[in-house]
Amino acid sequence: MMQMKGITKIYRTDVVETRALTELSLTIDAGEFVAVTGPSGSGKTTFLNIAGLLENFESGSYHLGDQDVSQLKDRESARIRNEKIGFIFQSFNLIPDLNLFDNVDVPLRYRGFNSRQRRERIEQALHTVGLHSRIKHLPSQLSGGQQQRVAIARALAGDPLFLLADEPTGNLDSTMAGQVLELLEQINEDGTTVVMVTHDPDLAARAGRNIQLLDGAVTNDPKDLPEAVAAYA
Amino acid sequence: MFSYDIWNALRSMRRNPILTSLMVAAIAVGIGVSISMLSVYHIMASNPIPHKSDQLFRVTLDSWGPLRPYDDSDPMKTPIQITYREATALMRTGEASRQSAMFETGLVVEPDSPDLIPFETRARAAFSDFFYLFDVPFLYGGPWDKLADDEAAQVVVLTPAINNKLFGGRDSVGEKILMSGRTFTVTGVIDRWEPMPRYYDTRNGPFQLVNEIFIPFTLTPRMELWSHASSSNWKAEKIQNHAEWLNSEAVWIQYWAELKSDLEVQAYQDHLDNYAREQKKVGRFQRPINNRIFNVTDWLDYREVVPNEVKVLVALGFLFLVVCLLSSVALLLTKFDGRSMEVSLRRALGASRSALLGQHLMEVMVIGFVGGLLGIGLTQLCLLAIEAMISQAPEYMLRMDWQMIAAAVVIAIVTSVIAGLFPAWRSCVTDPAQALKTQ
Repeated sequence: MMQMKGITKIYRTDVVETRALTELSLTIDAGEFVAVTGPSGSGKTTFLNIAGLLENFESGSYHLGDQDVSQLKDRESARIRNEKIGFIFQSFNLIPDLNLFDNVDVPLRYRGFNSRQRRERIEQALHTVGLHSRIKHLPSQLSGGQQQRVAIARALAGDPLFLLADEPTGNLDSTMAGQVLELLEQINEDGTTVVMVTHDPDLAARAGRNIQLLDGAVTNDPKDLPEAVAAYA
Repeated sequence: MFSYDIWNALRSMRRNPILTSLMVAAIAVGIGVSISMLSVYHIMASNPIPHKSDQLFRVTLDSWGPLRPYDDSDPMKTPIQITYREATALMRTGEASRQSAMFETGLVVEPDSPDLIPFETRARAAFSDFFYLFDVPFLYGGPWDKLADDEAAQVVVLTPAINNKLFGGRDSVGEKILMSGRTFTVTGVIDRWEPMPRYYDTRNGPFQLVNEIFIPFTLTPRMELWSHASSSNWKAEKIQNHAEWLNSEAVWIQYWAELKSDLEVQAYQDHLDNYAREQKKVGRFQRPINNRIFNVTDWLDYREVVPNEVKVLVALGFLFLVVCLLSSVALLLTKFDGRSMEVSLRRALGASRSALLGQHLMEVMVIGFVGGLLGIGLTQLCLLAIEAMISQAPEYMLRMDWQMIAAAVVIAIVTSVIAGLFPAWRSCVTDPAQALKTQ
């Protein structure tokens, strides 16, 4: 379970203070497929970065499972990112001079697995995304959709509890986007919680739950509806 | 992680070969120059006979005149050489287990071969103990014996260079050589022996070649051998012949003794002081008793065989290394700045800052290691160039020993890591969210 309560995030420069998230609270249960939507500047990516422990926040609390992860030291947050969270980025973020095997290997290297364990996990992850046969290829030898599938394999190899996807189909045509989304749905069906930030309402509609953000706060969350109806009654 | 960090370091170096080459070159040049200077200092300041340097003692006696000390700047300094009278007196009493008076002279060799014209050699007159005191290795034969010392026999020990010249390098023991009108018999040919510094005679150049031939000291009066090196005299003596020279107050002889324990050292010191008291009774040694003996390392310090100029050059060499490292810092900043996406990605995937710092520093260490290896090659070239400029330097005088090779690699790695700390730290504290957002 991912639970945020009253999260406020402010970006400061010498002259400007920008409130990216304001008292944001939400809970995502294990096994959900959640889409987070909203216009540009609504705080989607900031939310995802905080969820992935890549950024700190000014106030509020954040629990991941039973653990309070609000104020972790770098080494501990790195460990949690490595063991519990998988990232998928819009621009894939594969390391260009590493082949698929070595790209998927990156998070496993920081996990302390031995070479046999890493090989098994890499091969299994690439098999899951259908790219096992291209294990020695460089990213530049793949299409955009294939590169995103490699990124998904990299995220999956560590067997994370949460998969955080930031516009995972943003750089793909509709056919490839469909394939990637199907893959994410499959991963979710296998038990991994997926949180996907997207602009695309069609993609969001395929998620089990669509949370809408505006000005750094949740404006619409289907999970809140029963509580709202109950309160109205 | 160690092997992974090395693998990543090599990958990163290959990915940016021009920057990598520039960094390696900067470190190599810095190491080449600084270690060259350090090597020269190391050779000059090295202990030339480490296994017995604390048992070999240079003997000095203050036989100087009453009016002023030997050295006005330091009245406690004794003359670094002794008179012939003192040398023969000390040899006669033979208080040490081994001892030898010695000096440098010159003899004209008149070869048998019609192909060779007579030539002058740098000779050292010494006692047979000379070879045992300084552990001189022999290629053929050995030193002359004590009897030859006592009888002032016309015997000679050759260096390989002279043996090559006169006998084509063959075993010449028993062969005759005509020198300055007298026939000498070869008792031995020494093996390659170039103590550096030439500690037994710093007065005549601590970095000169070993003498070409060795003859018994006791031939001095009979052959009327004069010192070919500098001498000093506190007394204005009118010396008209060799006998007067030997009987004068001029100091021109070096004296070494082997003393194997503190007790022997103390006993020898007492012996010297007693000798000085005896001389006072006959009107000599008019200054306060000040006889000093030095072991090899103390003697080299006392004689300041390493010129201050060399120390300044070492400092300048390391200053140059700092300049090279500063240029490496700039190159590293450029290199690591171009890697913010990968660093941020690795952080997102679970690498801690310290893990990434370690990875960066490993790359710097590998660059430093390669730079150090190239620096060793450059150092060798620099030393060859320096050696070529020193006309009197023995062959192979300036070579890196294993200590200097290790120092080059260690200094290259350590200084590279120091230079890489800031660029690596700056790269690792990049905000990963910001860097990934800008992709």
